[in-house]
Amino acid sequence: MAPPLDSSQPRLAAGCRWAPSTTGADENRMILFPEGAIKLQGTGRQVLERCDGQRTFGEIIAELQKEFGQTDPEKIRADISTFLEQLQKKRIVDY
Amino acid sequence: MSFSPLALIAEITHRCPLHCVYCSNPMQLAATQSELSTEQWASVFGQSGKLGMLHAHFTGGEPLARADLAELIAAAHKAGLYTNLITSGIGLNDARLKTLVDAGLDHIQISFQDSREDSANWIAGAKSHAHKIELARAVRRYKVAFTVNLVVHRQNLDRLEEMIAFIERLDPERVEIAHTQYYGWALANRAALMPTHAQLEKAVAIVAEAEKRFAGRIRIDSVVPDYYAKYPKACMGGWGRKLMLVNPAGKVLPCHAAEVLPGLSFENVREKSLEWIWRESASFRRFRGEDWMPEPCRSCERRSEDFGGCRCQAFLLVGDATATDPACSLAPQHHLVESAVGEANSEASVAQPTAASSFVQLQKQTGDLWTYRTNPE
Repeated sequence: MAPPLDSSQPRLAAGCRWAPSTTGADENRMILFPEGAIKLQGTGRQVLERCDGQRTFGEIIAELQKEFGQTDPEKIRADISTFLEQLQKKRIVDY
Repeated sequence: MSFSPLALIAEITHRCPLHCVYCSNPMQLAATQSELSTEQWASVFGQSGKLGMLHAHFTGGEPLARADLAELIAAAHKAGLYTNLITSGIGLNDARLKTLVDAGLDHIQISFQDSREDSANWIAGAKSHAHKIELARAVRRYKVAFTVNLVVHRQNLDRLEEMIAFIERLDPERVEIAHTQYYGWALANRAALMPTHAQLEKAVAIVAEAEKRFAGRIRIDSVVPDYYAKYPKACMGGWGRKLMLVNPAGKVLPCHAAEVLPGLSFENVREKSLEWIWRESASFRRFRGEDWMPEPCRSCERRSEDFGGCRCQAFLLVGDATATDPACSLAPQHHLVESAVGEANSEASVAQPTAASSFVQLQKQTGDLWTYRTNPE
């Protein structure tokens, strides 16, 4: 399976969803999927929160490049692409 | 206890329309009249959510045998739990599937016993295979994760490639290739189920090839049977560390087999809170930490990885729940596992039946081969 294209619309795979938010510190959020869960914080969380099936990969990258103005934009693109590819292999994300 | 449980195993009934020979339910099945009510289960799920559990696994017996399953799923969903249904699919049609998904079902895992109908029905002791295929097609119309659970053992491993190709056509997101474990009925039928070295080696290669072919489409999870491994499994992630199981009668166990252990008194949700049971009960504390470990576990560098293996297996094979799991190559009683493996690989071991026209024919050919799972009263 190839990395996402700029036009891809990443979204959580069927049966994968966010855990309901708990009270208290919300820096961590969990994604739940068959037989497992992953904790997301920081950038990982920001990326996945934008994977709503509407935004394109290109748009997500652009938003985060703006957010993290200090970081090399190409690094942001490469890191997010790898991140989504790994989640796709685990069948947590589709694009 | 400083950590919280991650998942609740809701073993809601021991009733089941099938009689699978590898069933890991206890041979002493919970009587139907002893089953918890809908309200009692709703309370269990509410408590589980508050305790911070993330997943609820609906299992049995056959969870579909409970007429109130949709309400139970709704209650677990309301409590914030991700809901998994572990089922044979018997008792589920399109309409009922819709009610379960509407109630909040996140994930359905359907078992398949083989790729061929006569063999699949022979293993299950009932005509179930055709229905499962129909159901798998129906599942694809709904927004729910779909896993195929394929239980493999001596009687079907020779067809692994064919079975994987068959599963591929069902189009699940995930496949679990589950080598039989030996508890309950499976232990009684172990001689007929234990694979050979050759079957296992071939299986490892076939699964590796399938993983490549499926990459990005279907996720494969598979585990080598512990009798053939060097080190034991970290059973349930450790006793009382990750999981709680509530059985049909409300008894709270750290795993599905624990009732075989003598000298332990398990609590009931009718009498105590889940939180108290998790944190304070003697049963859940019994094998936490390391104080209970004998040598070689006590000074083994793997003790915090596999916790000395499975307590129930240690009791079932060695007669002592504190013993090193004999599946471990370092266990003083490892010869017990070695001899079972040896028998499975000897020339005198169980022959497989020849092809037959129906599963009833296969049963006739193999009358003494194994004991089919019965039903509770």
